[in-house]
Amino acid sequence: MGTRFEVVLSGDVGARLRAVGEAALAEIEDWDARLSLFRRESLLSRINANAHCREVDLDQETFDLLVACREVWRGSGGAFDVTVGPLMPAWGFRDRHEGKPDKAEVAAAAEIVGFDGVELDESRRSVRFTRPGMAIDLGAIGKGHALDAAARVVRDNGVSCGLLQGGTSSVVGLGAPPDERGWRVAVGMDPGAPVAVVRDAALSVSAPHGRMVESDGRPLGHVLDPRTAAPTEGARLAAVIARGSDAARAADAWSTALLVLRDRPPGMPAGLVTALDTGASEAPVWTIEGPDAAVVFELPSASGRRSG
Amino acid sequence: MPPADRRTFIKTAAGALVAVPLIPELGWARPYRAPARISVGVIGVGRQGRAILGELQKIEGVTVAAICDTDASRLSAGQRRTAGGETFAEYKQLLEKKKDAAAIFIATPTHLHRQIALDCIQAGRHVFCEGPLASTVDDCKAIAAAARGASTVFQTGLYARSNPVYQLARSFYKTDAVRTLVSMRAEDNRKNSWRTPTSSDEQDRALNWHLNPEISLGLPGEMGTHQFDVFHFFLGRYPTAVRGSGAIRVHNDGRKIADTIQIDLAFDGAVGVGGPGSGGAHLQYAATLCSSFEGRHEVFHGEAASIKLAWTHGWMFKEADAPTQGWEVWANRQQFHNDEGITLIADATKLHAQGKLKEGVGLPNSPMSYAIEDFFKSVLEKKAVVCTADEGVRASAVGIAASRAVTTGETVALDPELFKA
Repeated sequence: MGTRFEVVLSGDVGARLRAVGEAALAEIEDWDARLSLFRRESLLSRINANAHCREVDLDQETFDLLVACREVWRGSGGAFDVTVGPLMPAWGFRDRHEGKPDKAEVAAAAEIVGFDGVELDESRRSVRFTRPGMAIDLGAIGKGHALDAAARVVRDNGVSCGLLQGGTSSVVGLGAPPDERGWRVAVGMDPGAPVAVVRDAALSVSAPHGRMVESDGRPLGHVLDPRTAAPTEGARLAAVIARGSDAARAADAWSTALLVLRDRPPGMPAGLVTALDTGASEAPVWTIEGPDAAVVFELPSASGRRSG
Repeated sequence: MPPADRRTFIKTAAGALVAVPLIPELGWARPYRAPARISVGVIGVGRQGRAILGELQKIEGVTVAAICDTDASRLSAGQRRTAGGETFAEYKQLLEKKKDAAAIFIATPTHLHRQIALDCIQAGRHVFCEGPLASTVDDCKAIAAAARGASTVFQTGLYARSNPVYQLARSFYKTDAVRTLVSMRAEDNRKNSWRTPTSSDEQDRALNWHLNPEISLGLPGEMGTHQFDVFHFFLGRYPTAVRGSGAIRVHNDGRKIADTIQIDLAFDGAVGVGGPGSGGAHLQYAATLCSSFEGRHEVFHGEAASIKLAWTHGWMFKEADAPTQGWEVWANRQQFHNDEGITLIADATKLHAQGKLKEGVGLPNSPMSYAIEDFFKSVLEKKAVVCTADEGVRASAVGIAASRAVTTGETVALDPELFKA
């Protein structure tokens, strides 16, 4: 996944905590080896290389992950779509011609993007692509998936207080530090940005900044809108807090969809709490929605901001 | 790939020391497909067993019919990594009920290998058994005796022997590219407690077996055996004596197993002869769980060139007076530490024409995958076994001796009879 993961655990026995942390990080390494696009030997690379010409049998966990991708794709009206694989290099977000979009390649890739071209066979637990050239890129959900797996390792080993993060954009908070309601995580660099209070939940933040390309004189961020086959523009930042066994996976995927849509879609699960700065005005304006929104997102009372 | 035979060496000085990465033939990049469908079982689905499951999943034609582990949480985690494989807590039940599992992978704690391997062989299954083969020489010999008497395939899991990078490097070594061997060294540096989190004393005894000196070979046996075998594989010889020491440097959590070791393995005078009366070359080995700096690697330090191997990559460092070889023309130039090195890629002409020279750097698949592929080639295509049970005995015997040397502080002599083919 090409990023840094960190685990902070709280407990009494140092040696045991270290072992739990190592096991959690080993789980993340394991998923990285399976889902990385950058490893030629990964399971994902094998899927992308073969699924256009035959069904590829999967293990239960990987199959479930692709089913989850399909659910968010449907719920977001296609704003989240892991089949953007061919678009990423075309736009210059991979090594091939980094930073320089190739418009002809973008147009060709746009023709094959769409999760409707991914067939998931429940009975065989297999995947097949219906269009040649299709490729899955799990960059918008893989970190969350790996964090969920790592958090399960931590919980299963009886540790109830800790923070796990990947790439400083996905966080799982277990329990809370002493005398705190939860793990306090600032959403973005702006001093007026919300502070998420994460307790037995996951937080994911999506923003277009980071890797950038230039097209027709305009800088464009790395989050693609699969519906237009172009980098999404406008929204500055989207954050999602989710609960449950696959909370980080859900938060990761839905924060991308929210950033692309710039509005909470009807298909988004009601239990998710969202914070969105659409970028409609020069100063950040935050729309915060969902159950206990005011509790899980603390918003500084500066002017120009509102809670939805 | 033209062989680097001695005749092609031209005695001219050729500038600074250069690093030449060793890249295998392109054919190794292709995913293996079993020529016939085969069902397999995996006994022991801890971290190593789950890694095996991950590799099996990628091979078309292979079905994991069953997995086995005495730990319920590991069994559950292992099952999620299969496409419907049946689970067993007792391996004998697996052998009894899943007769379609023609091949069995054994990835249990080392001291449990013997009985499981014997029962698998007795049940007529092909066996892939992780190295070291067992934790005592007697157990190793018992497994090898059973394997020799069986019509099924038995492969010891010592991965260097199947690793294309190591095979390529060995071909250079065998054609005298390094000339006189000056010394040998190997390291395995990790930052890891080697401890598995557990919730009961019983589970702790089962899962943290490698921290129990009564049954574990410690770092020399569990990690060192695989690296010692690299040198056996290249030299075709085995050490005559081993001495070592160990200490607990960082992980002072009540364990009795050293977290840092140094070992000296002495080879006889036929290895690295520098002249009449000179002694044989030594292999200096160090391993630690306290620092990951420099990772895992093996080095053949030679008069004309040195070879460094690091699991998925390999380099040849040529001395200034080593001859230039034809294949270097197609190689990439790359910065390697403070020197500009030459990236050597087999089939470089083809890659160059395709503009893919950079993509050829590094092993395209995991080292484990090539060992598993070799196993299936032996089972399904009747190819010779790349690492037999007898080879496993020899390699494990060195690891066992090294473990004893570190534990006792004594020099342990290795019986030459043990290494006779």
